[in-house]
Amino acid sequence: MPGVALAREYKYMCSDPGQELIRQDIRDHGLDRIVVAACSPHLHEKTFRHAVAEAGLNPYYFHMVNLREHDSWVHADKPAAAAKAMDLIRAAVRRVRWHVPLERRQAPIHANALVVGGGIAGIDAALTLASAGKHVYLVEREPTIGGHMAQFDKTFPTLDCAACILTPKMTAVKSNPNITLWSYSEVRRVEGYVGNYDVEIRRKPRYIIEDLCVGCLECIQACVFKQAKVPDEFNLGLGKRKPVYIPFPQAVPQLVVIDPETCIEFKSGKCKKTCVEVCAERNAIDFKQKEKIENIRVGTIILATGFETFDPVRVPYYGYGLYPNVYTSLEVERLVNASGPTGGEIVLRDGRKPATVGIVHCVGSRDVNTNRYCSRVCCMYSLKLAHLIKEKTGAEVIEFYIDMRAPGKAFEEFYNRVAEEGVSFVRGKVADIYPAGNGDGRLILQAEDTLLGMVRKIPVDMVVLSVGLEPRPDANDVRRLFNIGCSGDGFFLERHPKLAPVSTFADGIFVAGCCQGPKDIPDTVAQSGAAAAQALALIDAGVIELEPNTAYVTEDACCGCKTCIPLCPYSAISFLEEKKARINEVLCKGCGTCVAACPSGSIRQNLFEDQQIFEEIGGILTYA
Amino acid sequence: MGACSVTLETLPRFPEGKELLTCLQCGVCSGTCPYGDVMEYPPRRMIAMMRAGLQEKVYTSDSLLACVACYACQVKCPRGIRLTEALLPLMKEQALTHLPELPGELQKALQSTLRYGNPMGEPSRKRAAWVKTAGVPIRILAEDPRPADVLWFVECYTSFYPRGQDNSRATARLFHRLGIDFAILGNEEKCAGECGRLTWEPGLFETLMDYNMAIFQKYRFDRVVTSCPHAHNAFKNRYPALGFNWGLEHTTPFLAQHLDRLKPLLTRKLNYTVTYHDSCCLGRQNEFYEPPRRLLKAIPGLKTVEMVHNRGNSICCGGGGGGMWLDTYFKAKGYERLSERRVKEAVATGADVLAVSCPYEVSRFEDALKVVGYDKRIVVRDVTELLAEAMEE
Ligand SMILES: Cc1cc2nc3c(=O)[nH]c(=O)nc-3n(C[C@H](O)[C@H](O)[C@H](O)COP(=O)(O)OP(=O)(O)OC[C@H]3O[C@@H](n4cnc5c(N)ncnc54)[C@H](O)[C@@H]3O)c2cc1C
Ligand code: SF4
Ligand code: SF4
Repeated sequence: MPGVALAREYKYMCSDPGQELIRQDIRDHGLDRIVVAACSPHLHEKTFRHAVAEAGLNPYYFHMVNLREHDSWVHADKPAAAAKAMDLIRAAVRRVRWHVPLERRQAPIHANALVVGGGIAGIDAALTLASAGKHVYLVEREPTIGGHMAQFDKTFPTLDCAACILTPKMTAVKSNPNITLWSYSEVRRVEGYVGNYDVEIRRKPRYIIEDLCVGCLECIQACVFKQAKVPDEFNLGLGKRKPVYIPFPQAVPQLVVIDPETCIEFKSGKCKKTCVEVCAERNAIDFKQKEKIENIRVGTIILATGFETFDPVRVPYYGYGLYPNVYTSLEVERLVNASGPTGGEIVLRDGRKPATVGIVHCVGSRDVNTNRYCSRVCCMYSLKLAHLIKEKTGAEVIEFYIDMRAPGKAFEEFYNRVAEEGVSFVRGKVADIYPAGNGDGRLILQAEDTLLGMVRKIPVDMVVLSVGLEPRPDANDVRRLFNIGCSGDGFFLERHPKLAPVSTFADGIFVAGCCQGPKDIPDTVAQSGAAAAQALALIDAGVIELEPNTAYVTEDACCGCKTCIPLCPYSAISFLEEKKARINEVLCKGCGTCVAACPSGSIRQNLFEDQQIFEEIGGILTYA
Repeated sequence: MGACSVTLETLPRFPEGKELLTCLQCGVCSGTCPYGDVMEYPPRRMIAMMRAGLQEKVYTSDSLLACVACYACQVKCPRGIRLTEALLPLMKEQALTHLPELPGELQKALQSTLRYGNPMGEPSRKRAAWVKTAGVPIRILAEDPRPADVLWFVECYTSFYPRGQDNSRATARLFHRLGIDFAILGNEEKCAGECGRLTWEPGLFETLMDYNMAIFQKYRFDRVVTSCPHAHNAFKNRYPALGFNWGLEHTTPFLAQHLDRLKPLLTRKLNYTVTYHDSCCLGRQNEFYEPPRRLLKAIPGLKTVEMVHNRGNSICCGGGGGGMWLDTYFKAKGYERLSERRVKEAVATGADVLAVSCPYEVSRFEDALKVVGYDKRIVVRDVTELLAEAMEE
């Protein structure tokens, strides 16, 4: 092949001896361009560039042929694939001749970090970063942090009291000087790039002056509403709150919120304002409070926005919303919780105590009609709820399951324990739920007991629907805001399912917890630790090296038409006063969109220069 | 899937068959099947037997005869397996060929359909006799072959059976008052044949298909409208293989499309409380849950109530998949009649009218009401009959 001084075959070119072979050949033969045709640049481009650089050559004098994704993985016809491999090699040899030396650039990493979402994932990540001495902004949408875990009574498989293990972490967030906690807030805008993200945060008015409120909660007592009337979000509407409220006693921050939708002062302006009276000289209530915008710069971001439970109204034959004694698992978490709407007593909406309870697994999971994936935690939390219901009421509890998934540490043992306690199990997906028809409020659960091979119709007092975990309804907006991806199921997409599970395709942005996919608390916390470690690695390195394959404008040729500006997915192109476009090489990811779009051909791209591409095409089309 | 070219042996090569490999054995199909508790091999076990190579045992039981092709299993299957559409009819075909003899009533219905073009065995020259009683002009294409917008495919029960004719007369009046340009095939029409397919008499089905297609091709029209959900099913899913490419509507959703113009005509107050029964083919198969309800709500004075099982969770009247002609057989086996189960639910709502959109249902439910002794408490009416009643002359 013209231009080739030396060709070598070696089985493990990526191994140490293989790399040494390359280095030696460069020295011995004075080679000035290197092509490797093996494996995939995905895996080993970095390895070989490094080897080439060590031999004193500019690493961009190297080119790698992708024999894996472009050839062996995608073709079944072996001889044809071999012929294609030769074409690809010829193309590479012709292109690499036109390579020019390039330098890697560096970007500084700002030491502050942003954590979005204050569930257990966000709390844990924030605490880890803060304990390493970094300043963290923790932004939580709701008036309190805690997420779903704050709603639980106990946690599987050990039955730890959720509040006992969560509340200390929540207060630690509040008291840590390295953490700025903005609850009742949302990220509105994100600009910039790894190491230098400019973020705008909207802090919704809670009509309470944070610095003045001491958390005495006297205003709630004093509210003109003698009885709480508004369905309470934290208790999923099973309890009531007043227009001035705190989500739950251990909420962090310990600040009340006024809900303008139901507050009389907001509706009519004519309230006696007994809350203001009782707040007296503390003067913490401010009906005129406006939303506040905060602008911060951070180097890294951890997304921990969690999940939502599946809405079982989408499976009409389970009767949720129609039959009052059909509950979701999350509602039952509140019912069994000592600080819940019934003080931990399990009573039905009609006031009865259930004597039989049916727990229906896989509601909205493992089903083409809803979500295809397994929600991973429902089998285990169903066992937990079965245990708690049995413990508190002595009721007969029957679990209807398809497969019992207990793959975690101490999970199978927990399954065993719950079975021993006398919970019964029917293997079969519930097919229908309907009233027993004799007016006693009981419901029939109809399912095939697949192990007995017979259809069973079991009357129960209470039905618990083990609803699956879903991406938050705004996951797609959040994804766009942070320029990351979502997988087919709608959860945030990690960079690599095995080897980069908390990274995303946006450098410096990490994911942790259920926003990436359903998982239990132990896995969530492991992931938030990993995300914090990844962020710390960047922050402590202080700088990040960037690939030089960026686009650039040859300003003489630029006609100032601005075609490129809206096309750039990374907002890397700005328009200069002298009516020329300029590309910020730190922002540019080298996607090439602008290069192709520029009508005057004045945008070019490192490593994808016209000459290099034409030579590559020529190499492929030349008949050997 | 090329109409009848798929056999149980070739099934695994088609997407419908590959799906079977993904069955979770969750049992929701058998649990929801209206005859799941009497079938020896309800759908889940059937698949398990097939996987174990024991399908012979399934064919030689009569489980499949109890399948009323109601789509209940298919819509709830979490793997989206096309049970009612693909697997069950194929299994049924096998079961029927293994049966020592076909249940008499069914055999007679199939023979009559072949010989006379209708399962009742009525002479085909009397098919259009009802037209004289309609009270409005009805154009029969054989007599006046000018092009029409709507070819109204009347179907058998609605042509011969007196209570079915009530539906046809109502439909004719509604079409007439709405100014729809329609015509019928009259005595040239023959059963669309869907029951033949679902009871798996494919030969019969194909004969009828060929016949009706040839008649269709004689005339010019834009779409076919039929009041029989089973005919609708056949035209929608099977006839296109033979070149059926006209528009297709069932009367109920078709009328719902004209609701704006229809509503001003509904001037007579009907002080009924009505509960609507979703037919399997119209509901689960085509998801026409709301159009009939919208029509009913447009009638002044009329109140609607829902049965416990409604919309996608409706319980079959028991007439599908040949069930129409298996009542005696089921009775002999001691199975509960589904139409009886259904009318008990209807009566429990306190409604005084059970509204339907399928001609099978009128006769089935009226009969069931007599058997359970509720015929004084509730009457069965087709949605079109109620609409026509609400329309003053
Ligand atoms: C009924 C039920 C019982 C369970 N029981 C157990 C158990 O016993 N043991 C166990 O290990 N696991 C259990 N789990 C799983 C457990 O809930 C999760 O593992 C855990 O809550 C995940 O935490 P997270 O922080 O990722 O998400 P979340 O708890 O959902 O927290 C996310 C937080 O982010 C906030 N947020 C969302 N979007 C934004 C935004 N755009 N901006 C700002 N903030 C935002 C939310 O308000 C929330 O506070 C259970 C799950 C359910 C449904
Ligand atoms: S419902 Fe579907 S997945 Fe479940 S057992 Fe039946 S065929 Fe299999
Ligand atoms: S179609 Fe209906 S009758 Fe047939 S098996 Fe399925 S649920 Fe049962």
